[in-house]
Amino acid sequence: MNKNLINIITTVIFSLTICSLSLIFIISPKKVFSDSERRELAKKPLLNSENISSGDFAEKFETYMADQFPKRESFRSIKAHFITEILGKKDNNEIFSVKGHLSKLDPEENHAMTEHAAEKFTYIYNNFIKDKVGNVYLTIIPDKNYVLAEKNGYPSMDYDTFIENFKNKVPFMEYIEIRDLLDADDYYKTDSHWRQEKITDIALRIAEKTGTELSLSDYEINTVSKPFYGVYAGQSGLNPKPDTIFYLTNDTIDNCKITYYDDFGNTYEGKLYDSEKALGKDPYEMFLSGSKAIVEIENPNSESDKELVIFRDSFASSLAPLLAGGYKKIILADIRYIKSYALEHFVDFTNSDVLFAYSTSLLNNSMSLN
Amino acid sequence: MLFSSLTFLYMFLPCVTLLYFISPKQTKNFVLLVSSLVFYAWGEPRFVAVMLVSIIMGYVFGILIEKFNERPLLSKSLTVLSVISSLSTLFYFKYANFFIENFSKIFGISVPLLNVVLPIGISFYTFQILSYTVDVYRGNTKAQKNFINLATYISFFPQLIAGPIVRYTHIEKELSQRTHSFEKIAYGIKRFIYGLSKKIILANSFGELCALFNQSSEKTVLFFWIYIISFMLQIYFDFSGYSDMAIGLGKIFGFNFPENFRYPFASKTITDFWRRWHITLGSWFRDYVYIPLGGSRCSKPKMLLNIFTVWMLTGFWHGAEWNFVLWGIYFAILLIIEKFFLLKFLGKRKILSHIYVFFFITVSFVIFATDSPNAALTHLASMFSLSKLPLVSPESIYYLKSFAPTLILGLIISAALLKKMQPAIATSKLAKNTLEVSEIIFILTLFTVCTAYLVDGSFNPFLYFKF
Repeated sequence: MNKNLINIITTVIFSLTICSLSLIFIISPKKVFSDSERRELAKKPLLNSENISSGDFAEKFETYMADQFPKRESFRSIKAHFITEILGKKDNNEIFSVKGHLSKLDPEENHAMTEHAAEKFTYIYNNFIKDKVGNVYLTIIPDKNYVLAEKNGYPSMDYDTFIENFKNKVPFMEYIEIRDLLDADDYYKTDSHWRQEKITDIALRIAEKTGTELSLSDYEINTVSKPFYGVYAGQSGLNPKPDTIFYLTNDTIDNCKITYYDDFGNTYEGKLYDSEKALGKDPYEMFLSGSKAIVEIENPNSESDKELVIFRDSFASSLAPLLAGGYKKIILADIRYIKSYALEHFVDFTNSDVLFAYSTSLLNNSMSLN
Repeated sequence: MLFSSLTFLYMFLPCVTLLYFISPKQTKNFVLLVSSLVFYAWGEPRFVAVMLVSIIMGYVFGILIEKFNERPLLSKSLTVLSVISSLSTLFYFKYANFFIENFSKIFGISVPLLNVVLPIGISFYTFQILSYTVDVYRGNTKAQKNFINLATYISFFPQLIAGPIVRYTHIEKELSQRTHSFEKIAYGIKRFIYGLSKKIILANSFGELCALFNQSSEKTVLFFWIYIISFMLQIYFDFSGYSDMAIGLGKIFGFNFPENFRYPFASKTITDFWRRWHITLGSWFRDYVYIPLGGSRCSKPKMLLNIFTVWMLTGFWHGAEWNFVLWGIYFAILLIIEKFFLLKFLGKRKILSHIYVFFFITVSFVIFATDSPNAALTHLASMFSLSKLPLVSPESIYYLKSFAPTLILGLIISAALLKKMQPAIATSKLAKNTLEVSEIIFILTLFTVCTAYLVDGSFNPFLYFKF
């Protein structure tokens, strides 16, 4: 082929590629939110002398371009597939895949964070629980990596040491072991959370250890129609197959009365399973409507007078409905959204057992605990 | 502004290229000058003034040195003054705090440090101005009367922040008279994309591996080796990638920049390595420091002193820290040993010479990567299992496996193995044609992948803030 023709083709192809993408970027409407990454996308930075002289404008403009670039999701996918399939890298943006299970490489144990969490729990124990009659339990939910990473050659935090260390920081709590009940299929493939339909054994273990009678044989499995792309699906860029969310119901669960507290302490009734959230950006939020400071689950048909207070993160949202049959009342407190010192206004610890149910990932990144 | 950014690739570059090619011949340099100032100001606008003052001084000194060239003493004094003024600016921004810090340590007093930030690219453009005024003094070139032309040469964005160090004599003619063609543009595009890929796909991956090593609290002997090899490859691909991009961009605008890297890891001696690594810096020090000092045409002790001086300065140019001085002295010693003893011996032993170069270059990068002689020794001890570190850990094995294909690819490319295969493949006309067409698809793929990395916000460090 004529050499000059090749040169012309090269020049034209690249000029057109660059110019067309630039033009599309300039004229296309800008997006506010990335559903796949579950985050707000950068807006065009303000063009003023302060921003320009500080260099902020340049930095923010680059972020804005990356966030609003034409065909952004396709480019992210190209990068993910290139890095994992062509360069053979075992993770992309720290997300790795084992037989369709996505997980994130662990950071090392952050001692300052676990110390912070233990201090918060100790404060709650000393100020609200110590002199009451109930028992205090702790269960630590290991990250998905506990069952996935090490056996598949990925570096992993030493979860056994992590949990032992944490137990020693809060010796006033009776530990409920659940690690032996978990395997990879108990977690969503594309998300960090566990699957409600797979953790009935964990609910029974907790009930047994807290001396509560609980029957979970009569439940019905329901399906959420919207495909569930978990938090790792978007981060990985690998276009994985979605999960399906199942949720369990029975007469006890259906008859429970749910009370939520808003930010001002006012109460309102809600649902255990929020059908609106099930169709929203994070369908896992269907369990107890996602992030809430205080939630009460009252079981009017309870034969027991026992009450349980659960200090928790999002893992307990799908666990608590399964425990509802064993208690007259369960109060869930999430101290990421309420100051610990304000708990006494919302939670009565007088005759309650208390369960601290936290995931390793939250304990290892606990600055959000108030 | 960084070449490896969406802002550069999809905003700056198309605008500047379009403006450049539609503007009439006499305003083309003006377009390049304004574009270069915008490029430089993007992110750090305050340092444009520093660069402009340096350019103005270079311009005025150039004209004055030429004007008084028949009065040698005055002309020489002006040249010395021009060198002192350029070096003073560099000294103030780059080295003042180093000397204050060491002065304070030596005399046990506390002298407050200057509140200065190093303007990006100052070492590069200062050396370009120095070479210009000295060349005018030497009569190697005429002073540039057109301020825009001189300012374009010094501030020209392709080579402004990471080289190559283009001398005025390299592009003197092209500043006023250059040609453009599809051949040059196509070559420039290809060269630019190869450079961009070296930076984004390879250098940044190795940089990420280095960052993982630095973050890890479970270091092992294996991890130390992975780190230093990644560090070598990161520096090589980042620097040579920037040079490729600069050469490619220069070509698009009709300029021929000198080569800066020629597969240095394929060298058989350290002397050879420095003929292939950062070539424009090495030749700058040779022509403007080593030879004026007397070079090798003097007594042996003087020559040894010259070599030490040049290499200490070369090291110091890379950063105002002792490790860079040590790095320079290390190379001076190696080069002297080669000059007097080793070159002939190594010339006959191909495999041994590669092992020798690999070992000593690896040690040199340990010195380059660490911030003190002690840290370098500790690092070397860890590499050779002289400390109490475990040999491996699951973490280090994982990262070795995860980055192995990238490391192998990096080693193959850096050792020129792919280049050696080219003539064997392209034997017939048909094969050549197929290769040329395939190359378009290949570089388009590379460009798409580079864009994808940038859109994903991948690890993209900037290494030249110390230069």
